[in-house]
Amino acid sequence: MLQFDRVSLDESTDALRAEVREFLGENQMHFPHPNSDFVTGHDPEFSRKLGEKGWIGMTWPTEYGGAERTFFERYVVTEEIVAAGAPVSAHWIADRQSGPLLLRYGTEEQRKTYLPLITRGEAFFSIGMSEPDTGSDLASVRTTATREGDAYRVNGTKIWTTDAHRNHYIICLVRTEPPGDNRHAGMSQIIIDLKNDDVQVRPIANMAGGEDFNEVVFEDVLVPADRIVGEPGNGWEQVTSELSYERSGPERFLSAFRVFVELVRACGENPAPHQAAAIGQIAAHLMTMRRMSISVAGMLEQSKDVAVEAALVKELGNNFEKVLPEIARLAVPSGPEAAAFRSTFEETLLLSPSFTLRGGTREILRGVIARGLGLR
Amino acid sequence: MDTRQLILDTANKIFTDHCDKKLLDAAETGEFASELWGQVTENGFDQLGSAGSGTELADMFAFVQQCGHHAVPLPLAETLLVNFWCGPQEGLSSFGELSGDRIDDVAWGRQAQRVVGIGVEGSTLTVVETPEVIGRGTNMAGEARDQVSVGSDATTVEATEDPYAMAALTRVNLLAGGLHRVLDLGLLFATERVQFGRTISKFQAIQHSLAIVAAEVAAAQRAADAAVDAIGTDRFVYEVAAGKARVGEAVGVVAEQVHQIHGAMGFTHEHSLHHYTRRVWAWRDEWGNEFYWQALLGNHLASLGADNSWDFIATRG
Repeated sequence: MLQFDRVSLDESTDALRAEVREFLGENQMHFPHPNSDFVTGHDPEFSRKLGEKGWIGMTWPTEYGGAERTFFERYVVTEEIVAAGAPVSAHWIADRQSGPLLLRYGTEEQRKTYLPLITRGEAFFSIGMSEPDTGSDLASVRTTATREGDAYRVNGTKIWTTDAHRNHYIICLVRTEPPGDNRHAGMSQIIIDLKNDDVQVRPIANMAGGEDFNEVVFEDVLVPADRIVGEPGNGWEQVTSELSYERSGPERFLSAFRVFVELVRACGENPAPHQAAAIGQIAAHLMTMRRMSISVAGMLEQSKDVAVEAALVKELGNNFEKVLPEIARLAVPSGPEAAAFRSTFEETLLLSPSFTLRGGTREILRGVIARGLGLR
Repeated sequence: MDTRQLILDTANKIFTDHCDKKLLDAAETGEFASELWGQVTENGFDQLGSAGSGTELADMFAFVQQCGHHAVPLPLAETLLVNFWCGPQEGLSSFGELSGDRIDDVAWGRQAQRVVGIGVEGSTLTVVETPEVIGRGTNMAGEARDQVSVGSDATTVEATEDPYAMAALTRVNLLAGGLHRVLDLGLLFATERVQFGRTISKFQAIQHSLAIVAAEVAAAQRAADAAVDAIGTDRFVYEVAAGKARVGEAVGVVAEQVHQIHGAMGFTHEHSLHHYTRRVWAWRDEWGNEFYWQALLGNHLASLGADNSWDFIATRG
């Protein structure tokens, strides 16, 4: 598991990369203030433009609106968009997580219904896992979905739900059976329309001044029974596998990338030795993590289980996203000429506590790695 | 089985049989491991990567990683690289840093029949046959590092790749192998040592410590491989810079955490952990420390400019 294969991107990806850069150049108006944190920019129009290019759900089968491109090609598109700091939050979860989940576990009808909408940038999804009393211990969720005829009655509260106030759907982890001896049994995932009048979405302001996450309350919300993802009772397997999809991508080590760009700019063409070292230190980390992430894309391409490798990439990547601004700040003198750097630095520093929380906390990931090492 | 795997398996067997604590202790007091040297040359492991050996530099560096893993007390990386540069010859060759009319920090210079001096700048190598040793010393791991004089009969050879970066690349690969060994020792100790009625591997604090170490070791491995893959490209020096900087940073974390896991036992001379931790501590400072290579890489990025920095990072290889 510590062997990350020497994978190179194919020459054919050069043209795709150039095409993405050209597209990003033409669409600069969508991100006058670039930010590489994938949660910060929500722009449905930009997402629809990406959908038109075929860059959402690009590895999925064409019959569901996908482009049947490789994981390497998807990797190139995502890293270019994130590094540029373009707004991706609207479609990000649907593309990275909800779509692959439905593709793997969903019913045929669910695949036909939602996947084409996702690929066009017309259906945005939120994740309904955490609850007020359920953080890392996902098996303790209390939200219930009780079968009533051909519907489920849903009651409970989900929290830290990014973009629930703007997205179309939420996939919630719920209890369809009361907890028994096996606490991982009796859980299911269900697709709920966020525009349903019985769903209440309350914004939660974050410390960085953003209002992208929410508390979502379900009070006697009736959801058609065919919205259960795949089979009822399969929820635990689904969430554990979808969490590993989301852990190895470029967004796990590039969140602070714009700070690096502004650092290089602030240091100028002839940096002092300590400034050059700061730039080089960050670059060395980024180059290495990027190659590890590409190695995982290669494993995904071969349909291998990437749970531990993805956790290793996220462990390194998220920690480094927090260290990057710390290295950069010491290399840039204060003063009006450093205003652009300061602005990007401060914005990123305020977001940085979230980097090692979202998608599985650092502590949970270290547990996953320890299991891979045979310690648990 | 491919050639490289065959080499690595054979080397692993020889090194596992020979490189025990007794041999390492003896080598650290200055005793040359002549029997092991005989085994290595018998198998042609002193010619890997050289013309006519049927192997490439990538095979050679994979072998160097194996040497790091076993803390092989012979200057094999040095012999191999000098044979590659100057043509293979029998006997031990080594290299060190050229400093005026001296060559410093020559690995096992006292045993060498040929020594190459490498400057920080330029691609010209200074070659000294039957060298005169003018000073003996060791690095902090007790590995012989001697001083050799450059006489008037020294010759020169032009290297195709930046020689200082090539020398650093030997350390990058020794480190990747050595760090892996330190992790292995940490895993072994944690799963054997019992405290509070269970192996300490069952404690979350230990699990997290080893997870951190594993992530650093995985990164070191990937960085080392990437630097080797860049041989022959115009990015070579920068990829070595990234590799030496990244792997060097991993050393501090890995050695510290694994010593902590071993408790007082790992602090004894009797335990073998220090043979590996002292080596990784030594190697990170040889042929340019992290700061040197970070600054070299950083200066290059600065010269490209902020808006081209991503393009440099987003390479295909």
